[in-house]
Amino acid sequence: MSIKAAPLHQKFITPNFWVLIFFMLSGAGFAYFRFFEGFGSVTNMSKAYPFGLWIAFDVACGVALAAGGFTTAAIVEIFGREKYHALVRPAILTAFIGYFLVGLAVFFDLGKYYNIWHALIYWNGTSVLFEVAWCVMLYLTVLGIENIPNVVEQYSGKVNLPGPLAGFNGLGNWVLGKADWFTKKTMAFFVIAGVVLSFGHQSSLGTMMLIAPYKLHDLWYTPMSPLLFLTSAVCVGPSMVIFEGTLASKFFGRKPETELLGSFAKYIPLFLGTYLLLRFMDLAYRGVLAQAFDGSVAGYSFLLEMALFIVPYFALKSTNVRYNGTKLFLCAMSVICGVVLNRFNVFLIGMDMGPNWNYFPSVGEFSVTFAFLALGVMMYKIAVNYLPILEEEH
Amino acid sequence: MELDRRKFLKIGAAAGGAAACSPAAPALARDEREPDPNWYGMLNDSTRCIGCKACQVACKTENKLPAETTLGDDKQFGQAIYDSPRELSEHTYTLIKAHQDAETNETTFVKQQCMHCVDPACQSACIVGALTKEADGSVKYDAGLCMGCRYCMVACPFSVPQFEWFKAIPSIKKCTLCSESRLSKGQPTACSSACPAGAIVFGKRTDLIKLARKRIEQNPEQYLDHIYGEKEVGGTNVLYLTKPKVAFASLGLQDFDYKAVSGLTESIQHRIFQYFIPPIAVYSILGGIMAYNQRRKKEAGTLGGDDEY
Repeated sequence: MSIKAAPLHQKFITPNFWVLIFFMLSGAGFAYFRFFEGFGSVTNMSKAYPFGLWIAFDVACGVALAAGGFTTAAIVEIFGREKYHALVRPAILTAFIGYFLVGLAVFFDLGKYYNIWHALIYWNGTSVLFEVAWCVMLYLTVLGIENIPNVVEQYSGKVNLPGPLAGFNGLGNWVLGKADWFTKKTMAFFVIAGVVLSFGHQSSLGTMMLIAPYKLHDLWYTPMSPLLFLTSAVCVGPSMVIFEGTLASKFFGRKPETELLGSFAKYIPLFLGTYLLLRFMDLAYRGVLAQAFDGSVAGYSFLLEMALFIVPYFALKSTNVRYNGTKLFLCAMSVICGVVLNRFNVFLIGMDMGPNWNYFPSVGEFSVTFAFLALGVMMYKIAVNYLPILEEEH
Repeated sequence: MELDRRKFLKIGAAAGGAAACSPAAPALARDEREPDPNWYGMLNDSTRCIGCKACQVACKTENKLPAETTLGDDKQFGQAIYDSPRELSEHTYTLIKAHQDAETNETTFVKQQCMHCVDPACQSACIVGALTKEADGSVKYDAGLCMGCRYCMVACPFSVPQFEWFKAIPSIKKCTLCSESRLSKGQPTACSSACPAGAIVFGKRTDLIKLARKRIEQNPEQYLDHIYGEKEVGGTNVLYLTKPKVAFASLGLQDFDYKAVSGLTESIQHRIFQYFIPPIAVYSILGGIMAYNQRRKKEAGTLGGDDEY
């Protein structure tokens, strides 16, 4: 282990801080109406589109985009590619924040949010949601445990609470010491558990809409959907690591990690190739590819989705692209947009509810979604500033 | 069957317990569900319906539902439209719609309400089991269990469950087959009692199928030789008859397969989590790879060596 991670300890209240606060406050304004006046006062959801932006983006895309955690953990910790060690902590942190936001978004989207704990005790094993809910809950716990060492490393033996709370310093140190002992003993177990749980719910999200064979468009209605959701999540994981790594360098004024990220990017064409192969084999086997060219919105949306996957697949095979910060970032963005569009296609655009029905998110829905994103960025900002997440520049 | 599965879930969970890395219990993929001879249902004979909407009124009265207005629609559409309200909603559990057949130009009135499926997609989909098939044949919704996730609305092939979009604490609303308010007292459903044309027959599902067959046999020129709901999506407790030249699809009753829509999701779920074997297998394989790599590193005496793929 050559270089250690350390907190940034930069000035925290920057102009960007106020931008984040603005988004969070405007979302909170709409949240008031959602909770006290009903969904109808804020959202454009309807009987035909009971799932809107909050499920399609905040939950379905949120889970996929948090895949950086389990893919990086698997590559580094399980497959032993130690060279990418610097990427693990930020990836696990962003995965934790991502899943935290997914949980919050689910809470927000549930009509009877105060019954959310029912998922724990009233079991219906036939429900895909049941499996998703349990895996997400357990994985969020695992991610929390995986993040404990960051806190321990920073504060163990140095707990210094302000004012009258100082009396609890000893207790704090004792708890951190125990946590350190516990995580050191069990981390391997949790790392693997995190990957297995991710396999479970990433794929189950793909099973979800298969309950509506007469609503979901043929281009996406396939028994292979769970496998495709899982493999696309594996594709977007490293892409998110690159995306976040690049932005973190830019916004925190650090040297870009182009060498490391460029090298890490070589996994993307490998994963994307597997995904595209599965995808096209499935489309060809079911003989539905022609529907992509029928001039419908779903057809165009499918073609755009494919383009967003195919272009980075070929581009990232070239070392020139991989080791060029801007090009690499654009390729990662393309994969991310492809996965986001795929989730939208499955959850919204591909849902054919007849000519009388359509859905486009309302200002309130966008506002709440942006508020969640802002909250996520804020949590990341706090964490990297005060905890040893990012490694010293190399 | 329901009880068996529940029990099985609990046994599975207890056995899996601490070692299990995923809680989705190993419920066995089940066979096609057979309709129970004691289930009640309704036969909607669209050839007899005169479109008086007495059933709609009776339903509103029975369930104490507020009226909905479609006044002003003539301005929006250029002419007044028969269907009022347009669609089922949280205030309208049953609805008479007028359908004009594109070919024959013939108008047919058809009633919409929960189909009370033999193998309900909503029941399969509901995360907390708030939707259940009752012994009387109705599909019952439990507002106390519900979390309001609206997955049942996605799952239902007939798009029947409705959500209270304008309530701070919303529930799902749909036809109850008057299970608690009337069936439990030995009374037929409110809509069937109100029908002056004999277009809605209440009774045991098996008897209704026999009655429908008889009607088709006795008046083959009046009926299409098909009972909608006998087999569609695994069967429904509400059945339909139509005129010979009016396709069910034109009445808003889609041409569904004969198998339950939840078949695919359930078999995928069961296959992935059967006896926890697949997750445990993945766990073991990953664990093996991790152990191998760590030993290799220890032997090599470095932590940052391997640069190959």
